[in-house]
Amino acid sequence: MHDAGNLTRLYASILKETRLIVRDREALVILFVMPLAFVLIMSLAMQDAFMEKSGVFTVAILDNDNGAVGQGVIAAFSSAGYMKTTVLKDAHDEADVKKEINSGRFKFGVIIPKGATTLAKGRVQRQLNFAKDGSGNGVYVRLISDPAMRVDHSNLVASSLARALAGVENRLLWEAVASLSGMEITPEREKEIREILDGNRPFEEVKAEDATGTRTASPMPTSVQQSVPAWSLFAMFFIVIPLSVTFIKERQLGGLTRLKTMPVPSSVVMAGKAIPYFIINQLQIALMLAVGFFIVPLLGGDALSIGNSPIAVGILTISASFAAIGFGLMTAMFCKTTEQSTTFGGTSIIVFAALGGIMVPKFLMPQFMQSISVISPLSWGLDGFLDVFVRGGGVSDILPEAVGLLSFGLVCLCVAAWRFSLKPR
Amino acid sequence: MNDLIIEAKGLYKTYRGAEKAAVDRIDLTVEKGSFFGLLGPNGAGKTTTLAMLTGLLEPDDGLLKVAGFDIRTSLDEVKRRIGLVPQEISLYPSLTAQENLAYFGMMQGLSGNALNGRIGDCLEFARLTELADKRVETFSGGMKRRLSLAIGIIHEPLILFLDEPTVGIDPASRLFIFENLKAMNANGTTIVYTSHYMEEVQTLCDTAAIMDSGRVIANGRMSALLSRQGKGMIRIRTAPDPTEAVRLDVESLPGAQSAIIKNDLLEIQTQEPEAAIEGVLRLLREKNVKLLSISHGAADLEGLFLSLTGTHLRD
Ligand SMILES: Nc1ncnc2c1ncn2[C@@H]1O[C@H](COP(=O)(O)OP(=O)(O)OP(=O)(O)O)[C@@H](O)[C@H]1O
Ligand SMILES: [Mg+2]
Repeated sequence: MHDAGNLTRLYASILKETRLIVRDREALVILFVMPLAFVLIMSLAMQDAFMEKSGVFTVAILDNDNGAVGQGVIAAFSSAGYMKTTVLKDAHDEADVKKEINSGRFKFGVIIPKGATTLAKGRVQRQLNFAKDGSGNGVYVRLISDPAMRVDHSNLVASSLARALAGVENRLLWEAVASLSGMEITPEREKEIREILDGNRPFEEVKAEDATGTRTASPMPTSVQQSVPAWSLFAMFFIVIPLSVTFIKERQLGGLTRLKTMPVPSSVVMAGKAIPYFIINQLQIALMLAVGFFIVPLLGGDALSIGNSPIAVGILTISASFAAIGFGLMTAMFCKTTEQSTTFGGTSIIVFAALGGIMVPKFLMPQFMQSISVISPLSWGLDGFLDVFVRGGGVSDILPEAVGLLSFGLVCLCVAAWRFSLKPR
Repeated sequence: MNDLIIEAKGLYKTYRGAEKAAVDRIDLTVEKGSFFGLLGPNGAGKTTTLAMLTGLLEPDDGLLKVAGFDIRTSLDEVKRRIGLVPQEISLYPSLTAQENLAYFGMMQGLSGNALNGRIGDCLEFARLTELADKRVETFSGGMKRRLSLAIGIIHEPLILFLDEPTVGIDPASRLFIFENLKAMNANGTTIVYTSHYMEEVQTLCDTAAIMDSGRVIANGRMSALLSRQGKGMIRIRTAPDPTEAVRLDVESLPGAQSAIIKNDLLEIQTQEPEAAIEGVLRLLREKNVKLLSISHGAADLEGLFLSLTGTHLRD
């Protein structure tokens, strides 16, 4: 008998699987309608929450001065309602402060250099002596920020710091003035004085610096930037349910029994399952991105912006799909009934999602929850997407996440292949 | 003697965790072109045997050649030449009849015109041409059975295995399946047919093996199997119970082949039932033995099974 070969068999498997999915209304609702609803609702509903939460900033202050400048800044920051100030006792230098920020404990760090008060007083004195040369630098109080902070929030803290320093400057000035005798001020004199003052400002202008030192624009995600990748990943992983259910039904109804009596390699059967779901995953992400781009802004939300590396987005999507399919095939091989596979598949994905910052964004989680979240593959995927969307990351930035997802998928796939055999037993 | 297309020697299988062997060192031979019946009560081991013959289940022990290939070393060669119609209706409910056929046809290695031709033939065969584009979930039990059968033959196998294909269908569909199987057999397809309906096997098959509790208790050509019983069996009960003297007298009667005493029954094998019955009645009158009951059954597999095992085939 002429044998058309395994490509025909693969084609037949893909066609069959596609028909099974397309005719399964529940599966379509789970895979497309549910995540779509989630993205729309969450993007719009969480919009304000995202703003509000980022209104409380944790600030670490490293006071190497121990004088009037440090006290002034600490006092001003402590009295501002939107900041939670902590004076670092054990930190010594800039690296310590950056470490604190990178660990996520603080959003901002303020470094007051050694001898700041002495230097500032000296500069004030020069102002009063009308020193015209205006040379030398003022005190540089540094503001370091989490690269994930939105620019407007960094600016807010920066201007608070500038105000606090202006307050210190005034105090130093008045203290100095108090020791001087009266002086006549004419308009010309005033202009001259202003020039002198400007040339001898005690403090340098405050600028927010990025904790990683390579700051471009790196704000926190907008709610649509969080929701689209989060619920896309959730939906992609939800293929575990239809994938395992169709497979288990095939086993129960005897389709697989027939296949076992035919000259069919098990790799063809597995690939015939994987490929249609891979395509579904790509459709899901395309749909969700489209919703973020076009529908959310129509309904009054922010439009989605996805950074500037579509290739990185593609790599992440493929890796996440691979992980989801591997997980689905493994679930199918180990569950005997469709009830088992829906319960196990559904529960594990929801737990992964909850841990991974899909349901509650990670930056809202306490530190210990954030560290637990690394066990969730969905969390790797989401971190990757946020790297690209929010922090302007490229391919090299998402490689660790992509490799993690691919490895997870590969391990699942190997376990599934080991369990699945069309050979007689 | 024709070529053997299936040869099994000492085939053995115990399911994991089971106490008893499901198939207990059986020998089977099936001739090329024959219509072979595998008969036995529920749990006899028919499905297990079939599973080993079709490569679904690996025998724990024994030799097995199917279509001339050793199933252990050349499974794919075997698979190319066999078709199985499983005991359970194995179809995709949400696919149409045509789509089910196309899928399994392609998985068998068919494509293009050959595939389309076979799909058409098989739909015709199952009398489902009109319903080709209807989803299987809307079909009746009989229609599903017919389609299931058609899928088993889409690649025109050399050997077709059927596991109780007539369970749960109406008489018309059953007759229809019989006619088709006979026609296929006449065209050269070897058929291995399992059933626990002995009339089916008796009318369809030319050779048969009877299984019970994992063993083959009788096998051979249908005519030979039936003639082991002669033309039938006469059973009589008497008062007093039959004695050895009576048995010897009965055995020497014209028309009687043999007589045995089973409990209070005297069983007489016969080729000429009328003569034997007349003789028995005369003899009993002469000996003054009272006749309590007499019955006669034509030779059939049921009778054979009964005489071999002392139990009825049906539960
Ligand atoms: N998967 C299994 N695991 C354990 N025991 C099994 C399994 N399948 C069958 N058996 C046992 O093996 C024996 C033979 O079963 P088998 O299905 O081969 O019988 P059968 O003749 O086909 O019966 P039926 O007419 O009911 O289909 C029975 O005792 C059965 O309980
Ligand atoms: Mg059976």
